[in-house]
Amino acid sequence: MNNINEFIEKFKDQFIDADEFELDAQSEFRNIDSWDSLTGMAILVMIKDEFKVDFSENKFRECKTVQDVYDEVLKIS
Amino acid sequence: MEVLAYINDINYFLPQKRLTNQMINQMHPEWSVDKISAKTGIYSRPIADDDVFASDLGVNAANRLFEQSGIDRSAIDFIIFCTQSPDYFLPTTACTLQARLGLPKSAGALDYNQGCSGFVYGLGLAKGLIVSGQANNILLITAETYSKYINPKDKSNKTIFGDAAAATIISNKPAGAINGAVQDFVYYTNGEGFDKLIVKNGGAKYLNETGVDILDDEGAFIRNDDNLYMDGKAVFEFTSFVIPPLIDQVLEKNKLTRDDIDLYVFHQANDFMLQTVRKRCKIPEDKFFIYLKDCGNTVSSTIPIALTEAQSQGRLKPGMKVLIAGFGVGLSAAFTILQY
Repeated sequence: MNNINEFIEKFKDQFIDADEFELDAQSEFRNIDSWDSLTGMAILVMIKDEFKVDFSENKFRECKTVQDVYDEVLKIS
Repeated sequence: MEVLAYINDINYFLPQKRLTNQMINQMHPEWSVDKISAKTGIYSRPIADDDVFASDLGVNAANRLFEQSGIDRSAIDFIIFCTQSPDYFLPTTACTLQARLGLPKSAGALDYNQGCSGFVYGLGLAKGLIVSGQANNILLITAETYSKYINPKDKSNKTIFGDAAAATIISNKPAGAINGAVQDFVYYTNGEGFDKLIVKNGGAKYLNETGVDILDDEGAFIRNDDNLYMDGKAVFEFTSFVIPPLIDQVLEKNKLTRDDIDLYVFHQANDFMLQTVRKRCKIPEDKFFIYLKDCGNTVSSTIPIALTEAQSQGRLKPGMKVLIAGFGVGLSAAFTILQY
């Protein structure tokens, strides 16, 4: 996946209420109401699926925005 | 003539005391009642009293099964007890159940230690005993009290698990209105994941160790070696990546396709994980049975409880093919098909 918009779409899909909010590259995803550790796990599974990499929980914890996550994932894939 | 093993009947028992979402919210105000139910699909969990054990839940489930099914206790020639909470290190709890349930002394009795895959394993063992001519009428009891292993500060685990027991009769003949003939099995084991769901202390390896509460930087509880620890991410990954190809395998082994399956009854871990694995296995919602809002994750009893509920809701009928999948602690998974 070499397109941030596709990444944002797939990122958003992991939230149980994905249809009820907007998400862009600068969104601080942990502020979304339905965010919790399960959503985080689903996102890490999505990253493993799409990029075939194990994105570490520690690195993930350091990321604030969707762009942060995308940039870090690209570094290791 | 081919010998088959049939599930004749199933019943279950839940302890009366409850841990509700309201009670969890009171202990952990940052988790709203709605958020808990939306994420887990659970509203309340049965919890055994301090002096009530897995064996007691098992006795209750079996007595209920005998009373409601009319099956004669003296016909039972084997009792298999699945638990990770035996009464003693020894003797075998199933031996004590023979006496407590008034089963014949001619019956065999065995405990086995399995969790989420336990019911499917039990069917495998029962089928083996029947097909090899060792037994004809097997009482399989799954019983668990994970609540006793969970630390009161452990927000996540206390939200997910419930205590329960289920009793199942598997025999060499059909009986009663509805019977599930047990087909072929697929098993999976990955011992490298042994510490992803574990109670570390109290067994032979760390018998006299005492755990301490380990907290994170914000003072939130992470783990205590005396208690149940679950690496949620690892278990979630296991469910997401390992289970879907195994569904294809069990279908292939039984020479069936997805279209042949009328109902899928998976181990009821929590709603979020179930929906994730359902989508990844490409199973349509209307074929995927979910029942956990009033019992939570009862470990080895989730599948027999769900099968009982599916039947009473009219979703399970003669003629149907049902794929059952148990997966979790071990890491372990087991799959089979039931032909009703």
